[in-house]
Amino acid sequence: MVSEPPRIDPRALTLEQLSRLCHDGEWRRGLREAAPSGFAELDASLPGGGWPVGAVSELMPEAMGIGELGLLMPALSRLSRVERYIAWIAPPYLPYAPALAQAGLRLERVLIVHARSAQESLWATEQALRCPAFGAVLSWPLGIADKNVRRLQLAAEAGGSLGILYRPAEAVREHSPAALRLRLAPTRAGLTVEIHKCRGGRAGTRLQLPLPLHVDSDHIDALAVHPAAAARA
Amino acid sequence: MLWLCIRLPQLAREALADERTALERLAGWAYQWSSLVSYASSEPLLWLELGASCALFDGHAALLARIESELAQLELSHVCALAPSPTAAALLTRDAAQRAGGQPPALTKAQLRAQLEPLSLGLLDLPPATLAALAASGLRRIGEVLALPADAIARRFEPGTLLYLRRLCAEISDPRPAWRLPATYRARCEFGVEVRTSTALLFPLQRLLLEFQGYLRARDCAVQRFALELEHYRHPVSRVRIGLSAPGRDAAQFLTLVRERLHSLALPAPVSALRVSAHEFAAPGIVQTDLFGNDAQPLQQLQRLIDRLHARLGEESIQALALEADYRPERGWRFTAPGRATSSRGGGGGGGEGSSDVANPSDPPRPCWLLRQPMRIEAPRELLRGPERIESGWWDGGDVSRDYYLARTGEGARVWVFHDRCDGAWYLQGLWA
Repeated sequence: MVSEPPRIDPRALTLEQLSRLCHDGEWRRGLREAAPSGFAELDASLPGGGWPVGAVSELMPEAMGIGELGLLMPALSRLSRVERYIAWIAPPYLPYAPALAQAGLRLERVLIVHARSAQESLWATEQALRCPAFGAVLSWPLGIADKNVRRLQLAAEAGGSLGILYRPAEAVREHSPAALRLRLAPTRAGLTVEIHKCRGGRAGTRLQLPLPLHVDSDHIDALAVHPAAAARA
Repeated sequence: MLWLCIRLPQLAREALADERTALERLAGWAYQWSSLVSYASSEPLLWLELGASCALFDGHAALLARIESELAQLELSHVCALAPSPTAAALLTRDAAQRAGGQPPALTKAQLRAQLEPLSLGLLDLPPATLAALAASGLRRIGEVLALPADAIARRFEPGTLLYLRRLCAEISDPRPAWRLPATYRARCEFGVEVRTSTALLFPLQRLLLEFQGYLRARDCAVQRFALELEHYRHPVSRVRIGLSAPGRDAAQFLTLVRERLHSLALPAPVSALRVSAHEFAAPGIVQTDLFGNDAQPLQQLQRLIDRLHARLGEESIQALALEADYRPERGWRFTAPGRATSSRGGGGGGGEGSSDVANPSDPPRPCWLLRQPMRIEAPRELLRGPERIESGWWDGGDVSRDYYLARTGEGARVWVFHDRCDGAWYLQGLWA
C-alpha cells in the first residue's frame, strides 16, 4: 500500500512558523520539493524522495503499453486528491476513464488537451505548466528540441507542477536539460527503470519495479495458443 | 436642482415605438451631460438634471449653449427650458414665448413663479374637466390658480391637482425615473488609416477593451462572451466570438484571449474599424487571493487557461472525462466540458453527483490506454489473463459479444485484446500502460 506523504497544512502552522515561511518563500519550496512516486525503491533513488516538482522529467519507454503510465498513477492519484488538476497533452491514445478511476484518479481533475501540431502541443504544455492549478502535466511532444525542453523546464519552475515529457527511447542519446530522465523497459513482472540523468542525485541506477496487474496470471499461460479454434468449433 | 427639459416635436411625428427608441438613444447621448436623465413615456420630452453638472461645464449658460449646438448638429428641432422642477420645465417648453427664445431662464423658485404667473391656464397639464372647471371659475392665468388657497383647491378639484401645482412650483419633490445605461454594450473605433496586420490592432483594441471594462465596472457586472467585429473596406465584416469559461471583466484577460484569437485569424482585408459588443451579462465572480496575496484561486487560474486554450486551439481542444454506465468498453466513458469540478474536499461519503466517477471495486481491471477504434490483429501468441466475456448492447443495435484477454506482445507490451464471437476475429482495443 502506498504510504501517505507528509503534507503541510497551512492552517496547522503557528504564527512563528508562518512568519518564517512568508519570509523566505519556504512555504512554496517546501510544497514543491518532490511528489512521492508510491514506489519505495524509486523514491529512495530520487533526491527529495519522489518525482521532482516544479521541474520537467522525461520518461523514455521502449514501447507503449509497458507500464509507462502505471509508474505515475500513484503520484497522479494523490495529486488529484489534493485539489490539483492533471493535464494530458496530445496523448497517443485515449486515456481510458474507467482505468484512471480504478487507479484512484479523480476524473473531474483530469483534463485532456488535443493538439493538431507539434507546435500547438508545445504551446499547450508550456501554458499548462505555468498554471499553478495543475499538479502534473503529462505531454507527448512530437519531436522536441532541447531549447524547448529548457523552456518547459522554466515554465514548470514558474507553475510548480510535475512536468512529465514522454519521449521515444532513442531520445536517450540526446542531451536534455530535464531534471530527471528515466528509461523504461518491460519485464515479466513489471518495469525496469534506468535513471539516465538525475539532477541532485545519482544516475546509472537500474531498478526493477513490480506493477499491479503485470503479475503473470497462471491458468492462461498454459493455453499458449489462443482458444479461437475451440470457440469456432 | 435645476432641470432642463428638451421638447423634440420632430419625434412626435414618428411611430410610438420609433419615438421610444429615438428618445432612448438621445438619453444615452444626454448622459454625457448629466447623470440623471429621464424621458417621458407619452410625449417627446427629455429631462436632464443640470444642477449637479453646471460647475463641471462652466455654468448653466455655457452648458445649455453646448447642448443646443449639439442638438443642431443632430438636426433636431427642439425647445429647451430650464426650471427648478421638471414639471415646470416641461410646461415652459409648451409656451410660445419660450419657443421663440429670449426668455431668461428660471433658476430659482421666485423666478419660476414670476415666469409662470402670466401664462395661460391652458398650458397646465391637468385633465380637461379640471381645466374647464378652473376656467368656469373665471380664472385665466396660471398665477390666479396658484393664488388660490391650497385647501380650496384640494376640496374643489381632483386630488392630483394640488400635487401637480406644488410640483410645478418646485415646492415638493418631483421624482423622475432615471434612465440607466443600456442593457447591451456596443462600442466602435474607426481608424483613420487601414490596418493591415493583426498586431497593429492590439493598441486600439486595448483602449476599446479598457472602455468595455469601465462599462462593466460601472454596471457592476461581467461577461462570459462578447463579440469583436472587424470592419473591412468593401468586404464583409469579420466576426470573432470570445468566450470565457467564467464571467470576467478584466481588460487584460480579454486582451490575452483576443490576441490568441487574432493569432490564428487570417485577415481577409485591411481593417477600417473595430467593434466590441456584448449582449449577455452576468454577476461578476468573486476574486480572491491567497494568504500571500499573489495567487488567484486555482479554479480561476484554470478557467483562464481553459479560455486561452479555447481561443488558440479551438472549442473542442480541451476536454474532461466522465464514466458512463455501459458494459461495452468503448461506451464506458465520455468526454465532458472541462472546469465543471468544484472543491469537493472531504466528500468522503461517496454520495452526491460525483459518485458516478468513482470506480466500482468489483469491476475487472481496465487498461489505461484505449484505442479510438478496435484494431483488427492476428491472433495473439501469449494470453496472460482472461477470458472476460462481455455481451451487451443487443437492445440498441450496437450489440457486442466478445471475450477479452490480457495479452503480451513481442515487444513486451501488455495489450487488451478481444476475440469477437460474431466474426471470429481478434481485435486490439487497449494498452496496459
